[in-house]
Amino acid sequence: MRDRAIVISIFSFFLVLALCLFYTQILRYPYYARLARNNAIRIIPIDGPRGNMFDRNGELLVGSRLSFNVAVVYQEIRSQTKLVNALSQSLGIPEGDVIDALETARRKPYAPATIVEDVPKDKAIMLEEASFDVPGLVIETRSIRDYVMGRSGSHIFGYLSEITEDELEKLRDYGYRMRDMIGRGGLEKYYNKDLTGTDGGVQIEVDSRGRQVRTLGMKEPQCGTDIRLTLDKTLQAASDKLLGDRKGAVVVMDPRNGEILALASHPSFDPSVFARPNTSAQRVKLLRDKVGKPLVNRAISGMYPLGSVFKIVTLSAALQSHGITPLSTYFCSGVYSLGRARFRCWKDGGHGPQAATTGMMNSCDVYFYSIGRAAGPDNIETFARMFGYGSRTGIDLPDEAKGLVPGKQWKRQKKNEQWYEGDTANYSIGQGFFLSTPLQAVTMMSVIANGGNLIVPHLIKKIGDSDIPCPQAKSIGLKETVRQKVREGIYKVVNDEGGTGKNARVKGAVVAGKTGTAENPQGRTHAWFSGYAPYDNPKICLVVFLEHGGHGGLEPATIAKGIFEEAKKKGYF
Amino acid sequence: MGMIFDKKMFGDFDKALFFAMIFIAVMGLISIHSATHARNLPFKESFLLRQAEWMLVSLLFLTVIIKVAYYRLVDMAYLLYAFIIIMLALVLAVGHVRLGAQRWISIAGFAFQPSEFIKVVLIMALANYLGSKKDTMWRLENLIIPIILLALPFVLVLLQPDLGTALLLVPIFFAMLLVGGANIKHLAVMVGIGLAGMPFFWHFLRDYQKQRLMVFINPNVDPLGAGYTIIQSKISVGSGGLFGKGWMSGTQNQLNFLPERHTDFIFSVIGEEWGFLGALVILVLYALIIKETFDIASSTSDRTGKLLATGVGMLLAFQVIINISMTIGVMPVVGIPLPLVSYGGSSLFATMMAIGLVLNVGMRRSAF
Repeated sequence: MRDRAIVISIFSFFLVLALCLFYTQILRYPYYARLARNNAIRIIPIDGPRGNMFDRNGELLVGSRLSFNVAVVYQEIRSQTKLVNALSQSLGIPEGDVIDALETARRKPYAPATIVEDVPKDKAIMLEEASFDVPGLVIETRSIRDYVMGRSGSHIFGYLSEITEDELEKLRDYGYRMRDMIGRGGLEKYYNKDLTGTDGGVQIEVDSRGRQVRTLGMKEPQCGTDIRLTLDKTLQAASDKLLGDRKGAVVVMDPRNGEILALASHPSFDPSVFARPNTSAQRVKLLRDKVGKPLVNRAISGMYPLGSVFKIVTLSAALQSHGITPLSTYFCSGVYSLGRARFRCWKDGGHGPQAATTGMMNSCDVYFYSIGRAAGPDNIETFARMFGYGSRTGIDLPDEAKGLVPGKQWKRQKKNEQWYEGDTANYSIGQGFFLSTPLQAVTMMSVIANGGNLIVPHLIKKIGDSDIPCPQAKSIGLKETVRQKVREGIYKVVNDEGGTGKNARVKGAVVAGKTGTAENPQGRTHAWFSGYAPYDNPKICLVVFLEHGGHGGLEPATIAKGIFEEAKKKGYF
Repeated sequence: MGMIFDKKMFGDFDKALFFAMIFIAVMGLISIHSATHARNLPFKESFLLRQAEWMLVSLLFLTVIIKVAYYRLVDMAYLLYAFIIIMLALVLAVGHVRLGAQRWISIAGFAFQPSEFIKVVLIMALANYLGSKKDTMWRLENLIIPIILLALPFVLVLLQPDLGTALLLVPIFFAMLLVGGANIKHLAVMVGIGLAGMPFFWHFLRDYQKQRLMVFINPNVDPLGAGYTIIQSKISVGSGGLFGKGWMSGTQNQLNFLPERHTDFIFSVIGEEWGFLGALVILVLYALIIKETFDIASSTSDRTGKLLATGVGMLLAFQVIINISMTIGVMPVVGIPLPLVSYGGSSLFATMMAIGLVLNVGMRRSAF
């Protein structure tokens, strides 16, 4: 009786055990099978390196280099003190920091956890050797972006940073993973798709310590496509050097086809700050700098009053709309009266009688007030748009600004005011509401230089092995006689003894150009110079813009001279 | 002695019990090989060979002890008991510490575990005492000696500390008293006192034992420490599915995710590599052994024999239940091996001796 009770209870237990096994092994099989698989199978990603960028002569501008990270596999640490000593001595970091990092590593004890990123190569090699004696220490290599020119060209190249969670959500289907880098600005962003490599990976079986037991499969990574730019490394470096510490922008372009040879915007930044880890303080500083705005590409995204450079538009409009003839002469006494208002010329005492070429040469405000009013604001607006203002040039860089071309209708809609004659006067000399990007200014200058075609500025020459054709140029319908008059005028600006742009003269080549000194509500005048060379067969067209840089005929013209000289040295003309 | 191994006795030799035992032990060898071959030890030093040697030695001893009538062996129970108690005391004094506990002692170059032997010897000693008190076991004073017999090894084993083995002695003790004719009320009071004393008992646990009990309640408290074994063991068994991943092909086992897998967690290896069917075969074989053992207990009219078989039946049943339950996470991790399967000479030897005693009882049941 009593032994029966014992036997029955034992077999009840056995039955329960069998049911538990059934539950665990049959009902919960999919769950545990997945866990077992996850335990043993790892995919080690192999980065598909990003494509390189080369300049027009094949010189490397942006590449990739190996970076060495110090990591630990927590599970394999034998002596924590030894490890902490080795790390803090060789890398010169406080022991406390290493211990903190180890605490983080503890959470994933089987996977290598990065402790210090991007250590110098010699130290990495030293630690790699030491790792034989210090179990748990691992040196990982990772490919990171290398901006060969440093801060130079930073706005063209842009930068990379880690993909955000939102983006990852959207781009997961395109093969993006956590910690992937994605192009943020400049060409890195614009050509991100081409530059991005396809990550490969090795599927491996690991044991409980995360050590590889065997390889199960391999998918070769694919490099991103290299791109060749229209940029000239030498001219780029020269532009950045000449611009120096000044705030402003330089664009150097081939006026015949729109190839950008150099494009600089200052203050610039070091793009590798974003590529390297542990530089978040520097990143935040860049993002928060509201005065210098180092991340803004002033050459294409900055909008400024153009000042006297705009007089090219005014003269073209007045001549072509038959408001005046090239010989129409206006007398400048230094002041222009419009009703009760008095508009001053920049030169006290005035320039005396002025016609088309002399007016341009002297940049005589009174002359332009007169011819601007003769042309009328509608014609000025039309011609400004013809020259490309008010819309994007279409350069292959992100965040290009449109600028602003005002007009009667615009003023009614935006300002709820009618157009005054005074607005026309201001318009004529590039003041008032009108805003331009430096890139638009150089595009306009190219129209004068190349015989009347609006070209599309661009940076790309080749993607991989395929040549990218130049975007089609369009004639803007500028009469040749008008263009010739403008040319003569801007020739004199540089080459006449009385010209405002004398500082841009270059020995052995004829330069033409226009200076600009733009009043603005923020403070000191903006200074502009835009011009091209050689005068008869233009090969180089440029714009120099200095934010609050004073007088266009001074520093900008001098910088332009430097760039022309450099181009001449390089054999462009 | 002098007893002839006659035809009658051979007819009563429980072949089913014997072959089920051999079958399980061989499955144990196969699993131990699978669990340890990754260490790449030379065959001479392999776990497989050592366990096989122990198995042969145990079988040799088994054939010797079934020739000697069990009651003669039980007559020597107190002597053996005293010997093992001294060994247990010695273990505490000079034993080897392995895995945080002092369980082993070396005699003539063999490291053996007295706590494995006390399980069998306690059954023999209790059978001796209870067998001699035929009609007076209901008396309270007759419980004093059995309690002392239990308490001595219980405390010594607990001090090693080996909580699992110490606790395992308790149900054996109660089952034998029950079958031995003790008063059910007395037993109930003892169980009550025992349960009431649990909180007090908690204070005597080592930290790691408390940790194991806490982790049993929630393994994720410490997934890489104490909970790691439970989690990995459940994954192993669960991922075996119906047919298993095949011998030597369990990823959990072969890739070293399972700690202690050739000893206490050998069942996880079986569950992973042989699947639900393999686990069921093992379970059914144990059920067969236990059924045969209790059949022998009920078929003999000798009190001592009945008590011996009951004790051994309980010993085997509880070890199997506790061990398998802990590998699938339904009981806390306590160091109880899976009898006949787990690697370990002492356990294998003691288990085979215990089964030998049962076979012995079965062979001689017709004599009464």
